[in-house]
Amino acid sequence: MVPAEIIEFLSVLIYPGFIFIFTLAFFYEWVDRKFVARLQNRYGPLYAGPGGILQPFADFIKLLAKEDITPRAADKTTFRVTPILMLALALSTLFFIPTAYTTAVSWFEGDLIFVTFLVSILVLITLIAAWSSTSTFSTVGGIRVVLQMLGFEIPMTIVMVGPAIVSKTLSITNIALWQYTTGHYFAIYQPIGLIVLIICLLAEIKKAPFDIPEAESELAAGWITEFSGRKLALIRLTTDVELILAGALVTALFLGGPTGPFGIPSVIFFLIKTTGVILVISNLRALFARFRIDQMLGGFWKYLVPLALLQIILVTLGVG
Amino acid sequence: MDEERVIIPIGPQHPALKEPMNFMLKVEGEKVLEAIPNLGYNHRGIEKAATVRTYIQNLYLAERICGICSIAHVQCYAQGVEKLLEMEIPPRAQYVRLILSELNRLHSHLLWVGVAAHEIGFDTLFMYLWRDREIVMDTLELITGNRVSYGFTMLGGVRRDISPDMAARVKKEMKTVRDRTQYYKKMSSNERSILKRTQGVGILKPQDALALCACGPTLRASNIKWDVRREDPYLAYNEIPFNVVTSDGCDVLSRMIVHYDEVIEATNIIEYALDHMPSGSFREKVTRRIPAGEVVSRVEAPRGEDIHYIKSNGTDKPERFKVRAPTLGNIPAVCKMLSDSYIADVPIILAGIDPCFSCTDRVTFVKGEMGKGWIWTQEELRRYANRWYQQR
Amino acid sequence: MEHELLRNLRKKVATEKYPFIKKKPPEGLRGKLIIDMAKCIGCGLCVFDCPAGAIEMIGKGTAADLKVYLDRCHFCGQCAESCPSKCIVYSTEFELANFDKKNLTIEFKRKL
Repeated sequence: MVPAEIIEFLSVLIYPGFIFIFTLAFFYEWVDRKFVARLQNRYGPLYAGPGGILQPFADFIKLLAKEDITPRAADKTTFRVTPILMLALALSTLFFIPTAYTTAVSWFEGDLIFVTFLVSILVLITLIAAWSSTSTFSTVGGIRVVLQMLGFEIPMTIVMVGPAIVSKTLSITNIALWQYTTGHYFAIYQPIGLIVLIICLLAEIKKAPFDIPEAESELAAGWITEFSGRKLALIRLTTDVELILAGALVTALFLGGPTGPFGIPSVIFFLIKTTGVILVISNLRALFARFRIDQMLGGFWKYLVPLALLQIILVTLGVG
Repeated sequence: MDEERVIIPIGPQHPALKEPMNFMLKVEGEKVLEAIPNLGYNHRGIEKAATVRTYIQNLYLAERICGICSIAHVQCYAQGVEKLLEMEIPPRAQYVRLILSELNRLHSHLLWVGVAAHEIGFDTLFMYLWRDREIVMDTLELITGNRVSYGFTMLGGVRRDISPDMAARVKKEMKTVRDRTQYYKKMSSNERSILKRTQGVGILKPQDALALCACGPTLRASNIKWDVRREDPYLAYNEIPFNVVTSDGCDVLSRMIVHYDEVIEATNIIEYALDHMPSGSFREKVTRRIPAGEVVSRVEAPRGEDIHYIKSNGTDKPERFKVRAPTLGNIPAVCKMLSDSYIADVPIILAGIDPCFSCTDRVTFVKGEMGKGWIWTQEELRRYANRWYQQR
Repeated sequence: MEHELLRNLRKKVATEKYPFIKKKPPEGLRGKLIIDMAKCIGCGLCVFDCPAGAIEMIGKGTAADLKVYLDRCHFCGQCAESCPSKCIVYSTEFELANFDKKNLTIEFKRKL
């Protein structure tokens, strides 16, 4: 008889914890890269493993082995700690969203608010990381990260409230379950909310057309410019985990989470639904040119905030 | 300089610049007030090297001034030498050279639009354009045998002929390129995110363009009809009907449109030239010694007007060789465009003139404020150098 | 634009798998040069015209051997043009990268 504590510990460590999430992170990076490449008439990753599926993992290992340079002017401690902190935060956010099972690893009434809080903290950590590396490119990139947050955070939070109002719970797990038990999927009943959330998440995970903080042709690598070696590996892993985060959040709030009929394991439904969301995100990434920061902010405040409010008004009027 | 203003250096190493060049930007917040260029990071001593090589060897040196407009530079040089010889190259050679020049323009323009798309973060368009540019590269490879340095133009003609087989294939490819370009033109002038980044960005008014001696597509995008192919026809350009494309937007978008239109125009020129190629020899023997004299020759390179000056003293080596690449003519214009723009727009504005700094860097003094250039004699330069080293 | 993206999804990929699948080089590609010493008359025009100084003559006249430094050669093809007896030919072999400069020096000797 294995004690319950050990099972819980293993679930955090292996499934659906770290190992599962990391594998998924590499897999989704591959899906994203491969899909964008095919849209652009390229192969994308090709030689590492079947169809290049191991390429993201190979990149990660390569970066781990690379020289790790800390700029002389950098704030050493902060510079060292921030990549770890970012990864930890992204992972702990994922623990509150149902992935492999219909319930999240950890959940409580009100974790929806906690998740939005963690997402904002993640952005602030990015700013601190950029600031501590003291290079011009990083600093400008960091400022742009925060400016971008001012744009996407309000509409994102507003539309996330939509499902909560209808299902009368503030827990992501319960929102997902509620959709399954009532058959009332929010993707159908709150389409505006879904669109706004996906656009905001694009900005959150800093993918084109909102890769303004990393704008290659303007700022080299933006806020990550000074990071190298292991730190860069962690940051890239964080980016991938954030990609799952985006997929899982949309899945849980609007597509009913990892639930489905026929007694098929819930993780299969989770994979299908998030892959769908990630393909949409990849497609949007290939479709647009990068916006300028002022255009992005203006667009978010002029169009997305009113749309998000409209969605909430519709919900409270009983349409959702 | 004003103490309160921040100066941001762009370059010599900067992701927006593919080659080293330095711009000092005086900024106030996000706005650029003034841009001061610093040239000379890429000086390779080509002009000096040319004076110790024979005219034949210089063909290959001229070709290597720039990798992209290699045909244009070598054409300009060969044309100059042929003028010194007072010879006319055979008509067929003229047509073959003309076709090559236009193919060169095609691949340079497609390359530029791709780079511009990359600067505004539109990588999909970049990938598509470079994929279709590959068709042009394959065509060049088919005709000349090589991809970048063609070694095709010789003094007195060209190295190889275009066979009917080649002509048929080139014509087929030109149709594909034209169709694709028409699609991209339509897409670029309708896609919202492209318009947002290019419309009204990097304005160069027609009178400024003239006053600052802009050239090539940059000038034509400011609605001034000027093209060396039309104003001072060389090769067989006076026998071929073509339009000088202009656009009146004066911004980066209209520069993009001008490039697209010139690609379409170039495919038409190539098709016409292939249909109307005269028969006959494609090369004439040329003496090794070139009669004394001096000559200025100019061609319309893909990036603008390219000027070569050659002075001969009757031996087999030139006494003086001077190159003015089109980018040099556009630098004052780009400084004008940069002033009163946003920092985020700097990459696309810089890319907007299709810069090629390794073409540009010759012995030119640009120091202090823009426009104050001067030329020194060798003696003055030597004295200056000695003084400078003593002071150190 | 979305239509174009989806169209490309179905299309054959444009990238070439170069080192694994090799395309036939075009005719007239100037690769590694080959000198037929039986035809060489030892005039030295190739040495004189080579812009890169990649050809060296050892000995004099019709008895001379030729040495080609491929690391200097930039494959312009002028030597083949200048040669009066047309003994210099460019092959289409272009994969010439090497770790050792010595391997890039080819000597063409007259067989006596």
